[in-house]
Amino acid sequence: MTTQLVQDPYNIIITGVGGQGNVMASRVLSNMLVSKGFFVTIGETFGASQRGGSVMSHIRVSSQGIWSPQIPKGQAHVVVTLEPVEAVRVLARYGNPSVRVLTNTRPIYPADVIAGEANYPDLSEIKETLGKLTEKSWFIDATDRAMSMGNPILGNIIMIGALTAVGDIPAGREDFAAVISRTLPEGKIDDNMAAFDLGVEMLKKAS
Amino acid sequence: MEESVVNRGQSGLRAKVLDAGLCTGCGACIDICPYFRTYRGKTSALFPCIVEEGRCFAWCPKVEVNLDELSNRIFGGPYDGLPLGSLKSLKASKAGPEAGSISDAQAGGTVSALVTFALKQGYIKGAVLTDREGLLPLPRYVDSVDDILRCASSKYTAAPTLSAVNRAVAEGRRDIGLVGTPCQVLASALMRSNQLQRDDFVDPFGLVVGLFCTWAVDYRLFEPFIAARISPERVKKIDIPPPPAEIMEIFGEDGTRMECSLEEIRPLVPEGCAYCIDMTSEFSDISVGVMEGRPEMNTLIVRTDRGERIVDEAVSAGFLEISDMPPDNLEHLTWAAGNKKKRALLRARERGIINSGGGKEPSYLLMNAEVLTRLTEEERGR
Amino acid sequence: MSHVTVDTSEGSTVLLMGNEAIVRGALEAGVNVASGYPGTPSSEIVETFSKVASERRLYVEWSVNEKVALEVAAAASFARLRSLCAMKQNGVNVASDFLLHLVGSGTRGGIVLVSCDDPGALSSVNEGESRYFARLMEMPLLEPGDFQEAKDMTKWAFDLSEELKQIVMLRSVTRMSHASGNVTFGALPDQPAKKAEFKFDGFILDPDEGVVISAPVEWKHQQQQEKVKKAREMFETSPFNTYSGPERPELLLITSSACNLYSREALKLLGVEDRVGLLKLGTTWPLPPKLLGKHLASTDKVLIVEEVIPFLEENVKILAAELASEIGTKTFYGKNDGLIPMTGEMNPDLVIEALKSILNLDYRAVPQEYEQTAQLSAFTGAPPRDQVFCPGCPHRASFFSIHNAIELDGRKGFVCGDIGCYSMAIRPTGFGVLKTLHAMGSGAGVASGFGQLGRFGMDQPVLAVCGDSTFYHAVIPALVNAVHNRANITLVVLDNSGTAMTGFQPHPGLDHNVLGEEVPAVDIAKVCRGIGARVEIRDPFDVEETRRTINELMDDPEGVKVLILRQACALSPQRKYVKNYSMKVDEELCLGEECGCGRFCTRIFRCPGLIWNKDKGKALIDEVICVGCGVCADICPQKAIRREEVAS
Repeated sequence: MTTQLVQDPYNIIITGVGGQGNVMASRVLSNMLVSKGFFVTIGETFGASQRGGSVMSHIRVSSQGIWSPQIPKGQAHVVVTLEPVEAVRVLARYGNPSVRVLTNTRPIYPADVIAGEANYPDLSEIKETLGKLTEKSWFIDATDRAMSMGNPILGNIIMIGALTAVGDIPAGREDFAAVISRTLPEGKIDDNMAAFDLGVEMLKKAS
Repeated sequence: MEESVVNRGQSGLRAKVLDAGLCTGCGACIDICPYFRTYRGKTSALFPCIVEEGRCFAWCPKVEVNLDELSNRIFGGPYDGLPLGSLKSLKASKAGPEAGSISDAQAGGTVSALVTFALKQGYIKGAVLTDREGLLPLPRYVDSVDDILRCASSKYTAAPTLSAVNRAVAEGRRDIGLVGTPCQVLASALMRSNQLQRDDFVDPFGLVVGLFCTWAVDYRLFEPFIAARISPERVKKIDIPPPPAEIMEIFGEDGTRMECSLEEIRPLVPEGCAYCIDMTSEFSDISVGVMEGRPEMNTLIVRTDRGERIVDEAVSAGFLEISDMPPDNLEHLTWAAGNKKKRALLRARERGIINSGGGKEPSYLLMNAEVLTRLTEEERGR
Repeated sequence: MSHVTVDTSEGSTVLLMGNEAIVRGALEAGVNVASGYPGTPSSEIVETFSKVASERRLYVEWSVNEKVALEVAAAASFARLRSLCAMKQNGVNVASDFLLHLVGSGTRGGIVLVSCDDPGALSSVNEGESRYFARLMEMPLLEPGDFQEAKDMTKWAFDLSEELKQIVMLRSVTRMSHASGNVTFGALPDQPAKKAEFKFDGFILDPDEGVVISAPVEWKHQQQQEKVKKAREMFETSPFNTYSGPERPELLLITSSACNLYSREALKLLGVEDRVGLLKLGTTWPLPPKLLGKHLASTDKVLIVEEVIPFLEENVKILAAELASEIGTKTFYGKNDGLIPMTGEMNPDLVIEALKSILNLDYRAVPQEYEQTAQLSAFTGAPPRDQVFCPGCPHRASFFSIHNAIELDGRKGFVCGDIGCYSMAIRPTGFGVLKTLHAMGSGAGVASGFGQLGRFGMDQPVLAVCGDSTFYHAVIPALVNAVHNRANITLVVLDNSGTAMTGFQPHPGLDHNVLGEEVPAVDIAKVCRGIGARVEIRDPFDVEETRRTINELMDDPEGVKVLILRQACALSPQRKYVKNYSMKVDEELCLGEECGCGRFCTRIFRCPGLIWNKDKGKALIDEVICVGCGVCADICPQKAIRREEVAS
C-alpha cells in the first residue's frame, strides 16, 4: 500500500448498472481516503440508478483540494466495473493507454439484448478489447463468489478489496474496517471484511 | 436485392387479413399464443410476433386457403365448386322424440339433437358451441346435454367460436364436437389438415356440424343498434325468418316482438363476409340450416362418412327424423348458395385476392382456374 | 443522526454530498423549519433534515407540493423563525404564484428557497432554469461553486434574508447536489427554544409588526426593489465572488456553480492559468457592477461558462453595455456564439474545447488512435442500456394491462402521463402506451381536455396515469375539473405506496410522515369518490383482472372513471429484500421462439429478471436480479414459468 498519490488528482471510476450498489461502493472507498486526510470529490450519476441504466461514480483523490465532479476525457487512472460491458463503454470516453481496469465478470444484460435486438459480447471478446485499451486489466468473478457467500451485493466489497490490492490506492484494510464500523450494523461487519479480504486475494491470483 | 420472404405468421396475417378488413372474427387465431386476442367481437394482435410461419396464418380462413388441397384432405377429391359443396345426401330433418324437449332451438332442433346424440354415443367427448351474454357471443366448451341446449339458438353475430377449440385442445381435450358457421368450419378444416406439417399433429375434432350462413353482423355495430331498441340483456332470441320475409325478429324476455328490415342490418355486416363463397359450411361432416316455408324443419346435408354414420344412428335411435327435401326448396337453396359463391368470387377477383401473387404474395383463395372461370361465368336464373 | 451532525465540532472535515452541505449550512444558521417536495436532485435535503430533526429540534415536512411547501416555510418566517424550502427546479414553477406574492410582502425570519436544477435532464423530463426566477421575482440569487461554499453560502443566506427582509434563492445543480466533497464544519449554534410569534398589530406598512401582504402594490414593489439594490451593494464585497489569475488576463472566464470546477480543471489541463483569469461568481443576481466593471476593464475578451440558458451571459453583457464608456468594448464568447452549448450539462471537456478555440490551443487528451479504437469498441461491443422498470416493478404489470386493454378495445385509445418512474412508459419497458408527457398532474389535466373532444368527433378512449404522490400534488384539481365538466376519461392511479422515484418519501396517503410520526392517511379512493368519480381498486399483479377492469371502464361511456392499481414498489422498504416466490422456468414446457410464444417473456414483457439462454433457446430466470414477484408466471402462454412460495 502506498501512502502517496501516484497522480494528483488520482481519478477512479466505479461503474455498473443501476441496483448494483455503485453508490455504496464509491462512498465506502471515498470515506477510506478522506480518513487518510485526502480531499475527495465524488461525482455521481444516480438518475438512472435502480432502473437498469448505466451508473457511474467519478472519484477524484487529491492532496490539493476539490476537483470537477466529472473526470475530463481520457483521464481515468483506474476503472472498477461491476459489469463487464460497462468497462468497454466507459473507456470510450475516459480511457487512455495507461489506464487499469478491474472487471467483475457477471453480465447484466441490457433490455435490448434480452429482447434479442442487440448482441452482448462474449467475455473473451471483452477481454480482448480491454487487452488493447488498458495497461493492465483484471477479471474477477466477484458476484459469483459473493453469491456463494450468500449475498450478491458483497460483490462490490470484493471489488473494493481487489482495487486496494492493485497498490495505487493510499488506503487499505484498516481504513476499510474503520469506515464500515461507522456505517454498517455490527452483524454485517464480518461478511464485509471477509469479502474485502477475498477481493485482495482474488486480485493477487488474477495478476 | 434478395426478395424478402413472405411472412406466414402474425405480420402476414395482419397485412392480408386484419388490416385488409377481411377478418370475420372466427377465433381460429385466438388462444394459441399470447399475441392474438379477441374482445367484444374484434380480433387484435397485441404485440408483434417473430414467428415466420405460424398457426394463426395457417388456420385463417381468409388467407391462402387452397380449396383443392382442403377438399382432397376432407373429401378425397378436388374442389369442384358445386353450390352446396361435396355431399352424400340432402334431407329435411327435425329432432326426434328421443332428443327431448328442444324448445329454445331454432327451427327443427336438428343441431341440438345431433350434438346430444354424438355426445351420448361417445363420438365426441364435448362440444364447442356459442353461448351468448347479452348480445355478445360467448364460445364455450360444454360436455353436458343441458349446456348443449342452453347454447342452441342462432346468434347472427360473428363469433370467435374456434378460440374455445384452441383452449380445449390446450387443455388436452380431443374428440371435440364443433358447431360453427361456414368461416369457422373452413378454419376447422384447415386445423384438421396439418398445414404446418408438424410431427405432433392430431385432428382434435370428433364431429363438425356446419351451419348455413349468408352473413353475420359485427357485434360492435350490432350491439348499439339493438340497444337503441331494447336493452341487450333483455333479448331472448333473435331470428331471421327464411326469405322472402327480409326482416330480423327480436324477441324480448317479456314476450315482446320487434322487427327491423334487413336493409338496416346489412351495413352492420363485416366486410369480410362479402368475400365468403360458402353458404352451407361445405367443409363440415354435417351441415344444417333452415328450410324455407317450413319453420319446424331443417335442411340437413350429410357430407362425410363420419357424418353419415352419426346421422343414420341418430335416426335409428329416434334422435332425428328425416324426410325427403321438397324439390322447390332444393332448387332455391342451390340457387342461393351458387349466387353467394358467384358474387363473392367476382368481388374477390376484382380485388385481386384470388389465385393472385404467384405464390409469393399470399392470396385469399387458391383454386382451380377452370373452376373459377366456370363459377364466375355461369348464369344462374331462377 | 446523520453524518451532517455526527461530528459537531467546529473545524472537522467530513465528506458531504452537496445537498448535505446545504443542510449543514442551514443547521449552522440555526434553521427551525424545513419543507419541500421530493424531486431529483433536491430530495436529500429534506431527508437529511428529517434525520436530525429531533436532535436539532426542527420541524420538517414533505409537503403536498412545492407551493404549499413554500407557504409552510414562509409561515415560519412570518413568525420570525428561520426556514428552508427545497425543491427541484420544476417545483419553483409550481411555487411561483405564491413566490410572486411573497417577494412583494417581504419576509421576517431568514428564509431560503433552494432550487436544484438538472442541466442535461439526468433525472428530469426537462432542463428548466430557475435562475430567471430571481430576475423575474426581483429577489437575490446565490450559486455555490463548490461543496464548502454550499454549506457556507447557505448559512450566510439566512443572514442576508433577514437583513433584506426578503426570501433568498440558492440554486444548485445535479453535479453540486449529488456530488460530494470535503466540507469543513463551522459551529452548530446552541439551539434555544425559539418562540414563534406572528405579529400583525403594528402599522400596516411596518415590515416587522404589520400585516404581511403585497399591497399597497406600488409602494411594496418599490420596497422590494430597494432590497435588490441593497443586495447589489452587499454583493460587491461578498467573499463568494472570487478571482484567480493574472492582473491583466488575455481572457476573462466568468462562471458560477459547478461550471466553476469544470473551468478550473480546464485551465489547469491546458496549462493556461497564467493567461486566463477566472472570475467565479457566487452572487449571480443582482450582479455587483463595480466588481464586474473592475474585471471587465482588465481584458478585451470575455468567456462566460454556465448551464443552461445564458443567464449570466446576458446580464454581464447588459452591465458591460452600461459600463462601456469606462471599460471599453469587449469581445464576448459563450452561448450566444455557440462556443458553449445552449443545451445539456457542461463538463471540463466542453470548456477545454471553447478555450482551445479562443486561444488557438492544441490539446489532445489521449492519442487519436487510442480514442478511435476505444470509441469503435464501445460502439460495436457495448450494447446500449435503455432504462427499464426494475425487476418486479408494478408499473410493468400495470402498463402491460393498460396496453392490452387499449389494443383489445381497438379504438386507438391513448394515455396521457406526467412525471414519475412511470414516465418510462413512453419506452418499450412500458409498452409505449404513454402518448403525452408533461408536468406533475398534467396527465389528468390534459385527459380532462381530451375527454371533451367527443363533441368534435374524437372517438378515441382517453386515459391518464398518475402516481400516488402525484395524485395529491397536482391531480386532484384536474380530477375535479374532469368530473365537474363531465369529461369522459379513465384515470389510472399507480399507487405504489410512496414517492418511489425519488426514494420513498412519504406522502399524504400514508399513515406516517417523514419524522416517523403517525399521521392521518388521506385515502385516494375516498377522495375520488368524494369528487364524484367511479372508483375501482385492483392489484396490478393480477394482470388479467386488471386488463378486464380497464376495458370495462373504457367501455363506460359516461364520466370520470378512476382505477387505483395498488402494489408497493419493488424497492420499497416493505418489498425490498422480500422474495415472495422463487421463479423457475420449466425448459420442457418453454416454447422459446416457437409458434405459440415467440419469446414473449424476454422479448415483450422484458422484465430484467428474465434472460434468454441463447444456447438452449429457452428463457431463464436470473437469480441475482429476479425479485420473485411472480407476474411472469401469469404471462407465460405455456405456464412454463413456475412460482414456488418462499418460506418467510
